[in-house]
Amino acid sequence: MNTDIAVGQTAPNTPGWLARLVDRYSWLVVILVALFLVTFFYGMVTAPNFLTLFNFKTIIRDAALVGIMAVGLTFVTLSGNFFLLSMKETAALAIIAFATAMSQGYGFELAFLFTMAVAVIAGGLQGILIGLGGNPIVVTLGAAGLFFGVASWWSDNLVVSFRRPHGAEWLGSGSFLGLPNITVAFIIIAVVAELVLRYTNFGRQVYLIGANRAAGKATGHENFSMAIKTCIIASACSAFVAIAFSAQVSSAHVNYFSSSFGSSGDMTILVIATVMVAGNSIMGGFGSSLRSSLGAVFISTVDNMMVLHGFNSGPRVLAVGLMIVFSIIVFALVRRGSRVQE
Amino acid sequence: MSYFRKVVGLATAVCMAVGVMSTAVYAQKKGSIVSFNGPAGEAYIGRFIKGIKGTAELKGFDIKVYENQFNQAEQDQQVQQVLAAGVLPDVFIWWPSDATAGLGSLRALHKTGVPVLKINQLPNEADKKYIFGYAGPDDRLRARNAGYMMREAAAAKKAAGGTSFNVIALSYPHSYGGYGLSINAFKDAIAGSDLKIIGDVDEGFGQANGYKGAAKLIASVKDQGIDFVYGMDDAILTGGIKALEEAGYKMGTDVIAVGTVCNGDKQLIEEGKQFGTTLQSPLHEGQLAIKLVEEYLETGKLANYINFTPNPSVTKETIETTALKGYDGKLYGISELCSGAW
Repeated sequence: MNTDIAVGQTAPNTPGWLARLVDRYSWLVVILVALFLVTFFYGMVTAPNFLTLFNFKTIIRDAALVGIMAVGLTFVTLSGNFFLLSMKETAALAIIAFATAMSQGYGFELAFLFTMAVAVIAGGLQGILIGLGGNPIVVTLGAAGLFFGVASWWSDNLVVSFRRPHGAEWLGSGSFLGLPNITVAFIIIAVVAELVLRYTNFGRQVYLIGANRAAGKATGHENFSMAIKTCIIASACSAFVAIAFSAQVSSAHVNYFSSSFGSSGDMTILVIATVMVAGNSIMGGFGSSLRSSLGAVFISTVDNMMVLHGFNSGPRVLAVGLMIVFSIIVFALVRRGSRVQE
Repeated sequence: MSYFRKVVGLATAVCMAVGVMSTAVYAQKKGSIVSFNGPAGEAYIGRFIKGIKGTAELKGFDIKVYENQFNQAEQDQQVQQVLAAGVLPDVFIWWPSDATAGLGSLRALHKTGVPVLKINQLPNEADKKYIFGYAGPDDRLRARNAGYMMREAAAAKKAAGGTSFNVIALSYPHSYGGYGLSINAFKDAIAGSDLKIIGDVDEGFGQANGYKGAAKLIASVKDQGIDFVYGMDDAILTGGIKALEEAGYKMGTDVIAVGTVCNGDKQLIEEGKQFGTTLQSPLHEGQLAIKLVEEYLETGKLANYINFTPNPSVTKETIETTALKGYDGKLYGISELCSGAW
């Protein structure tokens, strides 16, 4: 039987793109994603002043702080160590460290190094405990209380301020090619993190240990050192965000990253939400820092669109919650479909 | 007598001696106070606690402070714990996390027969029968003063040939009780002037939310022109000013900013980037609370049921000379009265 098909001719039994999508992901996933995309694009087109360069920059800038923290946290999640519930408190400790050093007149460079050293110790301590077998949730909950307590005690719960000019304005308020430097830093950190994960031995080990800890151990890659390294990365990202924010407002307070009433909700929860919305596997081994970066931009985009449509904080918090639930359902269905096909 | 009996006898004697001494010390106190309020980690509340503790000590009161993390359920639990302990103070100070949800706890405190002083949130119809008075800020007066300051700035702009008077408001979450009082008082104050509110965003409390909210609002109303910005408090406004600067506005020239509460950045007023603010001193609020407790315990009533802390306007011209006499008799300058980077 001749099965050759001429160039440009469609085989009668070849399914169309929609059928292929359905075949691969199931009707439910396709309908859910289609509904979401229609809603998203409708909102985008009808939002006043949404499609402008200025607003685009606003979205990226808005995503930067959460995005940088999410990129750091992605390393922890990919390595199979769930989440650090101390992201916000690490940032609180770091911002007090930075502002205290700045207010004492040590200058930006020394204050930066001092803050990063604090972050490395904070991350390293958590990593050691997790690497020794501690439950990441319990360990980081405890660490959160410890860091916040130290920061509160250190600052006496007061705002620590330092006067301008202080040499850190370039990071907090400066810009490069029309983009705020914090946005530029977010892009650089996201790209470097993705390259590290994709093309370095360390990156491959993160995936290996996250996907199969036993296999990692058998090949000589223990979770102990991996937990320490990834926790340090996440803490360093938190500290960087703290430094950038403190440089912007020339002050620090332990509650700068707590937002009990804010539309963004709690910073740690928002960072975890960003990693989740991006479809990274909570069990580790699957995902990427690029996904987390895009997750941050995506949440920022939806939030921005809703502000432009005149929604106040309540519906916007609801929207973020719905997006998390939606992404968990869709990615779970997609993965289940993949396993069935295998 | 056995060695054991000697030890027990000695321990009993020591305990009795300590007990008698403590009772004597306690008897010298004018009374005891239990305060239920938010966390010291919040800059404003931190200073409030310093105010009540310092003044209570000065006036000879014994005080215990129970902090909750802006959580009514936690505060309710603390109330139950205090009541279950069975040792009642002479006065309760009640700063509810949520005045409506906390009504049950307030009723429980009232049922003990111990007088209750409400703090910070104006009494409402439901709770005023359970308290003997109120001490705290006047959200309306504060916002009205901000409105008058903005009118003054608008009049100066008009006299200089200005023709555009668009205002954006950086607000508390709309669900927060202070929002309605503040925005209505501000609107009343600017009514009849050239000022016109063209946008209102409620991202949340604090600098970070102020920045994010303002950035989105700027994108939304940039086309109409932004001439004035009203910050419902200075912390929110500080973030908003950064967003406006990043968007290319020159503060003090292109856009005139007015805030309230005095919890932002002093340098912004000194540099002319913020036209002014209205003082709301947490230290004063704490001192006022103890003064009212003393007055009530001595006379059995208060001269005034509602007792507001003063809210004078503060501008670049008055910043160094603004001072208030505390209820401890000392004179406090602006740096001690404010709660932000001052």
